[in-house]
Amino acid sequence: MNTALHEAMLMIFSGNRLLGSIIGVTVRMSLASSLTALLLGVPLGVWLGSGRFAARKTLVVLNRTFMGTPPVVCGLLCYLLFSGVGPLRMLKLLYTVRGMVIAQILLITPIVAGMMESCVSSVAPAVRETAGGMGLSGGKTLLLIMNESRYQIISTYLMGLSRALAEVGAVSMVGGAIAYKTNVMTTAIMNYTNMGNFTTSLALGIILFFISLAVNIAVSLLQGRLAI
Amino acid sequence: MRQANKLIAILLAAIMVLALCACGAQTTAATTPAPTASASAVKLAILYEQDDSMKNTYSLLAVNPKAPFKDADGNAVSNVSINTAGAAALINWLLSKEGEDMAASYGKDKYGENLFSLLDGAPVSTAAIPAATDATRNIRMSTTTSVNDSGLLDYLLPKFEQEYGYTVDVYSAGTGKAIANAENGNADLIFVHSKKQEEAFVSDGYSYVLDGFKAERLSYLYNFFVLCGPSDDPAGVKNAASVKDAFKLISDGKYQFVSRGDGSGTHNKEVTLWPEALGITTDAASVANYADWYNYSNAGMGTCLMMANEKGAYILSDKATFLTFVANGGIIDS
Repeated sequence: MNTALHEAMLMIFSGNRLLGSIIGVTVRMSLASSLTALLLGVPLGVWLGSGRFAARKTLVVLNRTFMGTPPVVCGLLCYLLFSGVGPLRMLKLLYTVRGMVIAQILLITPIVAGMMESCVSSVAPAVRETAGGMGLSGGKTLLLIMNESRYQIISTYLMGLSRALAEVGAVSMVGGAIAYKTNVMTTAIMNYTNMGNFTTSLALGIILFFISLAVNIAVSLLQGRLAI
Repeated sequence: MRQANKLIAILLAAIMVLALCACGAQTTAATTPAPTASASAVKLAILYEQDDSMKNTYSLLAVNPKAPFKDADGNAVSNVSINTAGAAALINWLLSKEGEDMAASYGKDKYGENLFSLLDGAPVSTAAIPAATDATRNIRMSTTTSVNDSGLLDYLLPKFEQEYGYTVDVYSAGTGKAIANAENGNADLIFVHSKKQEEAFVSDGYSYVLDGFKAERLSYLYNFFVLCGPSDDPAGVKNAASVKDAFKLISDGKYQFVSRGDGSGTHNKEVTLWPEALGITTDAASVANYADWYNYSNAGMGTCLMMANEKGAYILSDKATFLTFVANGGIIDS
């Protein structure tokens, strides 16, 4: 652990090119996929949580099922779609960061939607009553609900981001863990472990932990500002 | 209130960092005396090697753009894009005098011996290598973990990339998966080590003869598989007359054995070494009755070596991966 910590520091401060590319790809992929998933998932979750329509319960159950989809299944699906013989082969997405982002969006959006749904469905009736009393339109009511759950949006985003950072099954299938191109922290840790290089694996793990810590501090500060 | 929240967040972060540092410091104290305590521990060692039947030959095959590609449902797929010019350039360079000399000397300074040797009569290319163009720049190579994990490609490819302007994406998996990856149209060339699977790849029409070469399968490097096991060798394979006898000693005594179980080149080699009466093939069903000693693990070489080290089991490995694994500190006294 100590040598690994030492190596982690050495890797960070010596400007290791491979590490730079691994961190770069990890951050790029996680941010792109979690932000897109947030944009898609929040409206979906608010709609599922506050809507009053017949199929709502069915859709909620369906979404909860997607929340539990094993990442490797999602990875396999994307692999088959993007593969050189797959139906979407002309997009050339296999073994690219863009392909990994798509797989991650498919995984994270249901989680974002599900978490938003559970929060919104608890505040929606009260907000709707208030909004009704003030004579607000449907659109404005939705905005009010979103405003009421802004704290939850941030927690939800963090959840999505940590899923993107931590995920390994789907990204290794769709990304292929190609050095300098699609190798992220988690797949690199697997690679180094397979080569018996535990110190480097552990060093990468420590760096991943610090990235996660930094993001969480930043978001907690932001959340603190918003929640009051 | 706002201030308080901020303060708490910063405090928490500081505590976590401190805790982590403390963890590091604590383990140093705990691990320093460890080496003397485990000096007598058994660890994985090479027990049997250099038998002719343990020869491990690596071949290059260019992927045929007109191969009978099929989708997951078995329907024929046309217009699969394969970078044939890029693959030809890379193969011509790997088989040039420069490429072959580099490959054959790899590992001498780091491991004290070369990890790969040049095959007698390996094809040598003198063809001029064109510089990369936008259409041919990106070359996709599908290879086995043993080639990639040994660091051979990290040593060879930068030279080729800098000189001619290509970029090579290396996808690495067991030979079975590496070949399947190419059959799915995701590779321009493969670099693998399993004769039977390579010949099937050729006879199924997935490879073709490059200009200036005589065959689809361009075998050029070799090393040896090694039988590894606990250094006190309870089955006594060290003194076996042949490698097949060594495997018979293991199966007769039901000593723990870790098999790759992933359709890789190493797995394919291993199943040919057991006594025929056992009927062991690469199919998991064939070893169902031996589950008490035969571990069909479906994992990469490194993972399997760790497993064997933990269990005190025997294992077949290619020598390059074993030496790299040991040099990286992967074999830890248990």
